[in-house]
Amino acid sequence: MPKPNDYAILFDASHCTGCRACQVACKQWNDLPGEATVNTGSYENPPSLSSMTWLRIKYTEGVDRGEVFWDFTRDSCMHCSSAACVEACPTGAVNYREGGVVTVDQDWCIGCRNCVQACPYDAIHFDEEKGVVDKCTLCYDRVSNGLEPACVKACPTGALHSGRYADMKALAEQRLAALKGAGYDQANIYGLAEMGGTHVLYVLLKHPSAYGLPVGPVTEKRKVASGWLSAGIAAAVLGFAGARWIAERREEVGGER
Amino acid sequence: MTGEWGIYIVLYFWLAAMGGGAFLIALGLRDERARRSGAFLAFIGIVIGALLLIVDLGQPTRFWHLLVGFHPVSVMWLGSAVLALSGLGLFLLLVMREWPGWLVWVTAILVLLVVGYTGVLLMATARPFWSGSPLMPWIFLASAYTTGAALLVLLGNREPGLHRISFNFALIEIVLVAAHLIWTYPLAKNAVQAALTGDLAWAFWGFVVLGVALPLYMEAQRRAASLAALLVLAGGFLLRYFIVYAGQTGVLRF
Repeated sequence: MPKPNDYAILFDASHCTGCRACQVACKQWNDLPGEATVNTGSYENPPSLSSMTWLRIKYTEGVDRGEVFWDFTRDSCMHCSSAACVEACPTGAVNYREGGVVTVDQDWCIGCRNCVQACPYDAIHFDEEKGVVDKCTLCYDRVSNGLEPACVKACPTGALHSGRYADMKALAEQRLAALKGAGYDQANIYGLAEMGGTHVLYVLLKHPSAYGLPVGPVTEKRKVASGWLSAGIAAAVLGFAGARWIAERREEVGGER
Repeated sequence: MTGEWGIYIVLYFWLAAMGGGAFLIALGLRDERARRSGAFLAFIGIVIGALLLIVDLGQPTRFWHLLVGFHPVSVMWLGSAVLALSGLGLFLLLVMREWPGWLVWVTAILVLLVVGYTGVLLMATARPFWSGSPLMPWIFLASAYTTGAALLVLLGNREPGLHRISFNFALIEIVLVAAHLIWTYPLAKNAVQAALTGDLAWAFWGFVVLGVALPLYMEAQRRAASLAALLVLAGGFLLRYFIVYAGQTGVLRF
């Protein structure tokens, strides 16, 4: 679980207007170039994160019983406490830093992309030119100097907050109570239990699946454990069968002779 | 670009499993020469496979970073450790005139881990087609035995049990693949459709028809054993090809 004094970000979906100031501020502060994308029939752009886009606003849009809905979520690294990228990394290049921030040591990364495959949030990506992976740093260079992350600083509506984890959690609970009181029965907080507790918390108006967020993502440790268990049973069953078939066939042939 | 796992990974999965499978099966045979050729095949598969893995890295010259840390939860780390150690074990066996029993056992377990970890590696991802069922290690192990036996047949080994191994494991393999597709369909529709009817249909149906059905038929008719074995090897490649690529189809790129 995140510690009370860890760095944290709170995203409040009930205040987000989808203006994407955060998305632009992230590009500016981190010196990330723009990308040529194609129109996918949505205002959402770009359509996914990449090594050059560490944060974007995800648009979930459609019609439900004659009512148009247009929902926004922040799509970026969640800075998990039990991070799949860290646990999948074979060299320790992706690791937890001070305050629970997850970053990549690009001088140590070998570019195997195991973290890219492991992340349930699709938030870490391979940079072909550099040959290493890259992702959101929670603006470690800013927060460690007492500044807010660039995305939080740029948010004009109060949808993004940053500070101590304990404070962000308290603020999330306060927002949740207010939203429930205002009739949003499905309002919930995302990130309290997911992946060991994430350092980015979301206050959502609808069930997380409505925003395309993974519901109850399985930690890397558990996936690895069940993988080895399955492989162990497979090795025993298939190995035993194979050994028997060789022996049986040998006896048959011996008998024929 | 995408940084997906591509053709080098497919080739590595195929070569390491084929050589490793041949070694593990040869250990079950009483033929001393078959055991040696099995060890040789596994060594070649693992060395070429390891080189392919290094070439595939974004920073190939940093491959040694894998070997200086200790990250047992990372399947990638454990895989590279057993890959290096099994290569060493096989090398020792190849240069030794008499095989010490303990070294044969240790090397066999390491080779089994090399063949098996690839399935665990895919299971421990956020890709629903790989992680949605526990069958990935089963499929890779079964295919290692099918292709390993076929490789020994192709190289002229006359052990009668090899045909039965190749035949039975091919049957098991096709059942496992079918079960996996049905199991993962609700979670990974895009991937399953890509395999059955989409971009990867050629690899999937190539595996089913040329890699399994045709060799099974030829085997049952006891005809053209070498050609059947060759088809089984090609099938092992196609199997890994569609699994590796299909797992990454749901990932939106631009």
